Amino acid sequence: MKLTVQVWRQAGPGAPGRFERHVVDGIEPHLSVLELLDALNEQLIDSGAEPVAFESDCREGICGACGVTVDGEAHGREDNVPSCHQRLSGYADGSILRIEPLRAGAFPVVRDLIVDRGALDDLIRAGGHVAVDAGTAPDADALPVGEERAELALDFAACIGCGACVAACPNGAAHLFAGSKLMHLSLLPLPSLERQRRVVAVVDELEELFGPCSNYGECARACPAGIPLTAIAAVNHERLLAGLQRRL
Amino acid sequence: MPSSSPTSSVIQVGPPSPVPRERRHRGVPSWSLKTAMAITGAIWAAFVAIHLFGNLKVFQGPDAFNGYAAWLRAVFYPFFPKEMVLWGLRVVLVIALGVHVGAAAIVWARGRRARGGHRVTLRGMRSWGAWLMPVTGVVLLAFVTVHVLDLTLGLAPVAPEGFAHPEAGVAHAYGNLIASFQRPWSAWFYVAAMVLLSVHIAKGFANLAADLGAMGRRWRATLSAVGGLLAVAVLLGNAAIPIAVQMGWIA
Amino acid sequence: MRFFARPGKPDAAAQHGPAVPATPPPWRAPASAAPGVRIGTVLDGRLPGGDPATAWDRRRAAYKLVSPLNTKKFTVVVVGTGLAGAGVAAALGELGYQVHAFTYHDSARRAHSVAAQGGINAARARKVDGDSLHRFVVDTVKGGDFRAREAEAYRLAQESVRVIDHMNAIGAPFAREYGGTLATRSFGGVQVSRTYYTRGQTGQQLQIAGAQALQRQVHRGTVALHTRTEMLDLVVDDGVCRGVVARDLATGQVWVQPAHAVVLATGGYGSVYFHSTLAMNSNATAVWRAVRRGASLAHASFVQFHPTALPISSHWQSKTILMSESLRNDGRIWVPARSGDARPPADIPEDERDYYLERKYPSFGNLSPRDISSRAAKEQIDAGHGVGPLRNSVYLDFADAIGRLGREVLEARYGNLFDMYAHATGEDPYSVPMRIAPGAHFTMGGLWTDYDQMTAIAGLFVGGEAGWAYHGANRLGANSLLSACVDGWFTLPFSIPNYLSGQLGSRLPDAGDACVREAYARVRARTDALIGVGGRLAASHFHRELGEIMYADVGVARTAEGLARAIERIRELRGRFWREVAIPGSGAQVNQALERAGRVADFLELAELMAVDALDRQESCGAHFRTEHADAGEARRDDQRWAFASAWSVDGAERPGGAMTFTRHAEPLSYQAVPLATRSYR
Repeated sequence: MKLTVQVWRQAGPGAPGRFERHVVDGIEPHLSVLELLDALNEQLIDSGAEPVAFESDCREGICGACGVTVDGEAHGREDNVPSCHQRLSGYADGSILRIEPLRAGAFPVVRDLIVDRGALDDLIRAGGHVAVDAGTAPDADALPVGEERAELALDFAACIGCGACVAACPNGAAHLFAGSKLMHLSLLPLPSLERQRRVVAVVDELEELFGPCSNYGECARACPAGIPLTAIAAVNHERLLAGLQRRL
Repeated sequence: MPSSSPTSSVIQVGPPSPVPRERRHRGVPSWSLKTAMAITGAIWAAFVAIHLFGNLKVFQGPDAFNGYAAWLRAVFYPFFPKEMVLWGLRVVLVIALGVHVGAAAIVWARGRRARGGHRVTLRGMRSWGAWLMPVTGVVLLAFVTVHVLDLTLGLAPVAPEGFAHPEAGVAHAYGNLIASFQRPWSAWFYVAAMVLLSVHIAKGFANLAADLGAMGRRWRATLSAVGGLLAVAVLLGNAAIPIAVQMGWIA
Repeated sequence: MRFFARPGKPDAAAQHGPAVPATPPPWRAPASAAPGVRIGTVLDGRLPGGDPATAWDRRRAAYKLVSPLNTKKFTVVVVGTGLAGAGVAAALGELGYQVHAFTYHDSARRAHSVAAQGGINAARARKVDGDSLHRFVVDTVKGGDFRAREAEAYRLAQESVRVIDHMNAIGAPFAREYGGTLATRSFGGVQVSRTYYTRGQTGQQLQIAGAQALQRQVHRGTVALHTRTEMLDLVVDDGVCRGVVARDLATGQVWVQPAHAVVLATGGYGSVYFHSTLAMNSNATAVWRAVRRGASLAHASFVQFHPTALPISSHWQSKTILMSESLRNDGRIWVPARSGDARPPADIPEDERDYYLERKYPSFGNLSPRDISSRAAKEQIDAGHGVGPLRNSVYLDFADAIGRLGREVLEARYGNLFDMYAHATGEDPYSVPMRIAPGAHFTMGGLWTDYDQMTAIAGLFVGGEAGWAYHGANRLGANSLLSACVDGWFTLPFSIPNYLSGQLGSRLPDAGDACVREAYARVRARTDALIGVGGRLAASHFHRELGEIMYADVGVARTAEGLARAIERIRELRGRFWREVAIPGSGAQVNQALERAGRVADFLELAELMAVDALDRQESCGAHFRTEHADAGEARRDDQRWAFASAWSVDGAERPGGAMTFTRHAEPLSYQAVPLATRSYR
C-alpha cells in the first residue's frame, strides 16, 4: 500500500519545527509505524536527504526507547500499544499519517522525533533505588513475599519508561511513572524500608520537573505496559503516609 | 591514517558540561495543593448535602422552611451566642472556597505550563470529566456569588425586589426564595448551575479518592458511588425547587 | 609473547598470586583451512590450577586490594549499561571508584538485557530434585559442547546464588510460591528446576533493578553517567588501555575520557545478520574497535540461532521477533512432505505432513535443543519444504493441543504470546498454524579474556555477552542473564581492583599525550572518511545484503564452499560500501545515518572474521555445524584437534575497505570435572 507521511522535522532543541510531507510506497499493512519510518528513511538517504531522526531499539515493546505521536495520540491510535507494535493495518491505502515527537514541556525535542526524556531518569536518580550494596543482600528466601504481593509489585514494575504517559497527559504530569516506581518498591520487603525517604525525594523531583496530576486518566490509556491508574493515587498515598509518619 | 595530528587544544578531554534541565521553582507543592483541594472540596460537598436537606423543607411549606432558617441562626443557643455557629460555618466555607479556588488556579496554570503549549487529544469520559472541572468550577464560582447576593445578602440587581432581611428571629427565607424563582432567568440559571454542580461533585469524589491516595479497589468504588449518589441527589433535589416554582406547584 | 607479560610491567603475571608450576603440554595448533590465516601463540588463560571447583575461591584470596582511601584515585570507564555494565559500574561506584558509564541510549535502562524473557538460572539447589552446583557446571559445560572453560562455569555456578539474593534485594520482584519462597521453573536442556523468573519479563526486571542501582551511584556522585554517548575507539598506550574516545550523539562532539581501566559490556554482535532477535542499535563497534587495537576475538563464528523466531515475510520487516521457546511444549512442528507444496496448511492431509523433529529425534521430539531444532528447520527449508509467502519458515501447529486441551488451556498458557503473534503477523494462531524460522539470537563468541576477564590489552576488561567465557559453542537457556550479572556484580569488582592495585600513582593521559591525540585523530579520520564517501545508497542496503550473505553461508549450517564464497562476497560488499554509501548531513549534530554507517562498516569487517573462523574450525560443535563434519546428519566434534578456543587478532593497517589478515591464537581447553562426552538427542 501507499501512505502519505506528514512528519515533524526540527533541526535542534531551539530550532523551529515544521511538518514535511512524503509518500511511501510498497508498504504492507502488518508493518509497524516505525518500519514505515525505516522505509521513509532509506528512501530519503538514497535521494541524498537527511533521514528523520527517531528512537527505537528492541521493537518488541519492552525497552521503551520508541515513542512517537501519531495523529495526535501518544504511540498511536491503538491504546496500550507501543509505537513499535502499532500496525498500519488500520489505515486505508492512501491514508495520511501525521507523525510528531512525544509532546510535553518536560521533553524538549533533540531532533525531529527524538525527545529528551531524561527527566524521568532524574526521578529514579532522586530516590527510585534501593540502598543495598553488592554482596550484602540477605537470602532472598529469608524474606518471604506473598505470591499476590509479588505479582502486584510486578504489575507496577512492568513500566517500560517510554514517557507516553507524560506526553498523553494534558498536564504533562509523570504521576503514572512515579507512582508505579513507588509502588513497585513499596510492595517488596527490603526496598520498602526506605519508603518514606524515597517518596519525599521522588515527589520533590516530580514537582520540579513535571506538571500536577488532575486525574485525566489519559496516561493509563496510552501506557504500553498497562500500568493501572491506581499508580497516580500512589504518589499522594505514599507522600501523605510519609508526611504522617510518627517522628520520635 | 590520520592526515594531521590534531593539536591538544581542540581535543575535549573529560565530559562536556551538560545543559541543565529546566526546572520549576519550588512553591507550595502540587501534591499538597491537590490534598487541600480534596479536603476543601469535601467540606463543600458536605455543606451542599446539608444545604440540600434544608432546601427540601421548602416542600413542607413556609413555616417549616422559615423555621429552619431561623433555627440556623440559633444553633447551640444559648451555649453559643446567636449566629455564632452560622458565622463560624460561613468563615470556614469562605476560607475553604478560597483555598479550593486558589489551589485549582495554581494547579491549572502549572499543568498548562508543563504541557508545553502542545495540543492534546482527550479520549474517554474520565478525561472529559477532568477537563470539565475548571470549566464547571469557574461557572460555579459565579453561581455562588450570585446565590449569595440573591438570597443571603439580598443585594440588587441580583436579588428579587422586595427582598426581606430576617428580623427579631423571624426569617423571610421562603418568601425571598419564591420571589427569586418566579423570575424565569433566575430559575433556569439555578437549574443549569445544579447540572454543573452535580458533574463537579461526581468527578470531584473520584479525584478526591486519587488525591487522598485511596488505592484500594473497594475504597475507590465506594467514594465514586458516594459522589455519584450525592450528585444525583443534588441535581434532583435542588433543581426541583426552581422548577416547582416555575410550574406554580409551590408559591 | 605479549600475552604473557608486558614490557614495563614485570609484575603483571605475578599479580595473580602464586604461579602454577609450568608443565606445558606439547600442544600444537592444527593448520588452518582458511587461506591467509596465520597461526599465532598458545594463549594462557591464567586459570588457577588444580581443582576447578575451588579455583575462584583461591583466585579471590590471591587478589590484591585497593585501600578504601585510595579507590577514589582511580577512574574506570564502563561502556554499556546492561546487566553486566550497570552492575560493574554500580559495584565499583559502591566501592568508591570514580566511574564513567557510557550508553548510546537516552537512558541506562534501555540496554538490550531488557528483552530477555525466560529467566535466570541459579545453582541454589534448594529443592530435592537432584540439582547441585556440580550439576549446574555439568549442564553448562555439556550444553556448550565442551568449548568453554570449566573453571569459569564453576565461578558462574558459585556466584549465581548471590546474584539472586542481590537482584531480589535491589528490586527485582521474582515470582513467588504461595508460601512466599522463590518460584523456579525448568528450562531447555536441563532436567532440574533452577530457573528464576518474573513472568516473561525477567530481563526487564533485572535490567531495571541494575539501572536503578546505577542511578543510585550517580546520585551519590561516584558514577558519571553519559547517555546518548557512543564509544568509538580506545586510547591504548603501548598495549595498555588508557581510556576511550566517544561521540556525543546529541551534539556530535567527540571527546576523550582517560581512565585507569576500561570495561566493555557492550553485548553481542548478532545484528551482523541484519534480521535478528537483537535490538536495532545493538552493534559490534566497541568490540571490533578493541580487536583493531590489539585484543582478540574468541570463537567469532559461534552464534546461536533461535528456532522459534518469526520469519521474515516482507522487505521492510525490521527484525525477527522472538517467540518464547515454551511454545514448543504444546506445538508440533511440521512441513509439507512434498517439496514445493503450496497448499494452505488446512488442505494438507495428515499423511502428507512431515513432523520432522518427532521423526528424527523421537525421544526429545519438538523439545530438541535450540541448535538441533534450528538446523533441522533449515534443512527442511533448504530442501524446498519451507512454508509461507517466502517459503522460509516451518509450521508450529497447535491444532492437536487445542483438540486435546481445549482453547481455554492454551489461552491461559500462551495467551500473551498468541496475541503478540497475531499482532505481528495478522494471522490467528488458534486457527492457522504459526510460522517460525531460525533467527540469529546470541553470540557465544566475544572478546577473548583471561580468567580475570581481562583482554590481551592490559586494563581492558569485558563483561556479559561481549565476552566469550561461559557458553562455549552453545548457550543454555537462562544462562545469559546469569553470566551478565555474575560478571558485573561478582567478578569484575574483584578482578579490576587487583589490576588497579598495580596502577596506584599512575597518571592519566591528557590531550598532550600521543596516545590520546592518535585515538582522537583516528575517530575524526574515520568519521571524515565515512562522510567523504559521498555515495548514493543508505547503509541499510549494505547491512541487509550482508545479512543475506551471513544467513546463507555463515548461518545454521556451514560448508567450506559456502564459507569461502561468503568471504569473497563480504570483501566485495565492503569495497562497494566504501565507494557507494551515502551519509547526508554532518557529524556535528544528531546524525543517525552516520551512526548506522559506522556500525555497518564494522560489521563488514567482523563478518569476514566470522566466516574465516567458521571455515577454519574443521569440526562441528554446538551451534557451529559444518556439514562436512557430521555423522548421519549429526554434529561430529573433534576433540583431538579442536578442543581449544580460537582467539583471533587482526593484522594490517586500518584502511577504509582495506584487506585484513587474521592470526589465530589458541587456548587449549581441558576438562577435569566434566568428562568429554558426545551430545545425543535421538
